Amino acid sequence: MSNAPQSNSQSVSPYSSQNAAVRAELSEIDASIRSSAIFFTISAIFWLLAGTVFALIAAYKAHEPSFMGDSALTTFGRMRSAHLNAMALGWGNNIIFAVGLWIMARLCRSPIRHGGVLLIAGAFWNIGLTLGIGGIIAGDITSVEWLEIPHYATPLLAISYALIGVWGIVAFKFRKGEHVYVSQWYILAALFWFPWLYVIAQVMIIWFPARGVVQSVTNWWFAHNVLGLWLTPMALATAYYLIPKVLGRPIYSYYLSVLGFWALAIFYNWAGVHHLIGGPIPVWLISAGIVASVMMVIPVIVVGLNHHMSVVGLHKEVWRSPTLRFVVFGAISYTLVSLIGSAMAVRSVNEITHFTHFTVGHAHHGVYAFFTMIMFGGVYYMMPRLLNREWPSAPLIKLHFWGSAIGITVMVVALQIGGWIQGVEMNNAEIPFLEIVQNTMPWLQARTVSGLFLTVGHIAFAVNFFWMLFAAGAVRAKQGPTLLDSTSKEGAA
Amino acid sequence: MDVDSYTDLMPIILLGVVFFISAIGMLYWSSKRGQLRNFDDQASTIFTDEEPEGEISDSFPSK
Repeated sequence: MSNAPQSNSQSVSPYSSQNAAVRAELSEIDASIRSSAIFFTISAIFWLLAGTVFALIAAYKAHEPSFMGDSALTTFGRMRSAHLNAMALGWGNNIIFAVGLWIMARLCRSPIRHGGVLLIAGAFWNIGLTLGIGGIIAGDITSVEWLEIPHYATPLLAISYALIGVWGIVAFKFRKGEHVYVSQWYILAALFWFPWLYVIAQVMIIWFPARGVVQSVTNWWFAHNVLGLWLTPMALATAYYLIPKVLGRPIYSYYLSVLGFWALAIFYNWAGVHHLIGGPIPVWLISAGIVASVMMVIPVIVVGLNHHMSVVGLHKEVWRSPTLRFVVFGAISYTLVSLIGSAMAVRSVNEITHFTHFTVGHAHHGVYAFFTMIMFGGVYYMMPRLLNREWPSAPLIKLHFWGSAIGITVMVVALQIGGWIQGVEMNNAEIPFLEIVQNTMPWLQARTVSGLFLTVGHIAFAVNFFWMLFAAGAVRAKQGPTLLDSTSKEGAA
Repeated sequence: MDVDSYTDLMPIILLGVVFFISAIGMLYWSSKRGQLRNFDDQASTIFTDEEPEGEISDSFPSK
């Protein structure tokens, strides 16, 4: 790769030796967060792989319950919850801390100060998470979905998050220039929203439990908002930074991007209650949740239109970029999953999808096809700039992309078709429940197959990452980190 | 849910109201600071001399 065309690479790379004088500022910012960003990315990949193993066990047990049936540690409930927390808080939060803080520092044009403290806080976050997920597997699981981590681990998570999140806020405070780019809005808001959600949910459900159904309301207010006010803004911030940055073209309509952000900030908070349609809570509260859910069509259309128009005419460039291949897949998924989600909040649709695998497919559509794919793209863009080193293997990137893209597509399609059939059958009192369960088997088996595709993709990603990180001698001989190559001969897979 | 039980919902409703008001407050702050003007110029602020507008900055490595 050292023979890669230099003109293309060096003309664009801010790290090329010819640009040494002008790259000082970006290099200083990247250097200030290098150690902690790499630490968070390594941690994220570890949890991604661990979460994948938990998922495979849970998925297989869904249609072969006797698999590993002699061990209490690997019962479905524990594996499923270990998977959820490993992916949401392990993979999701660690990769947000890496990519989100890096983007924040770059947009603020402000180095991260005292990065060592950030590193220590990150270590405590992962120790707390290991304790929590270990507790889940050991049987100390709570009965609250999305808050399964036992109470003895949560204070450590809350404190370490506060130390991490404040770094992004400090970077914002010391930003250069008055303007706040839309990605900064999303990241800054999410850094406030997540602790707000997590602490209130912990207080009202775990530490000082509210009475009765208020716990359920709080539970789904939290769980849905973790998706919409934490993972979603961080992924959208990444997309709004990377799409124009990679293409060298400003976002199609900055006005629409700002409109999308404020619509999310003001309306999304109410949407989670639609998970309790049909439940014993005031109808007006559920109706408010349904209205908010349907209103989310506005920011979704706005964001989708903006992303689409930003890449119009540059589709080949998108395909040639590892970063944008993942990011655009995620951006398209955002539009689809959000519109499906708004439809699922309508009572007549929810009557069918509630309590079915359709919802499971929808959750994976959002967290994986949208959030995770965009974050993969973020890592592909960030790491070469942090390490001043090129990714060692294009085939592994392609394997990662196709493994993830095929895997998640098969999973979402299988679970949503199977879930819809399941819902229709459950509404028919003449069909025995056991028959309905048996009818879900092919779809659950398809999910396990999809998990194998995802596993291949994740392994390819991990191998490429650690190859890049540790086999420095083999991949260091690059002209720059921007991965540029002759546009006539790559990106064909 | 009877009327008496509605009081149980008050904490989360109040928190929702506070959340809503804080979002409106952020919107007001951004308006006062001129963040909602000159949108076209603001869209280009992510580009720098080091990473300029008009150039593609990412493609597959060569092997």
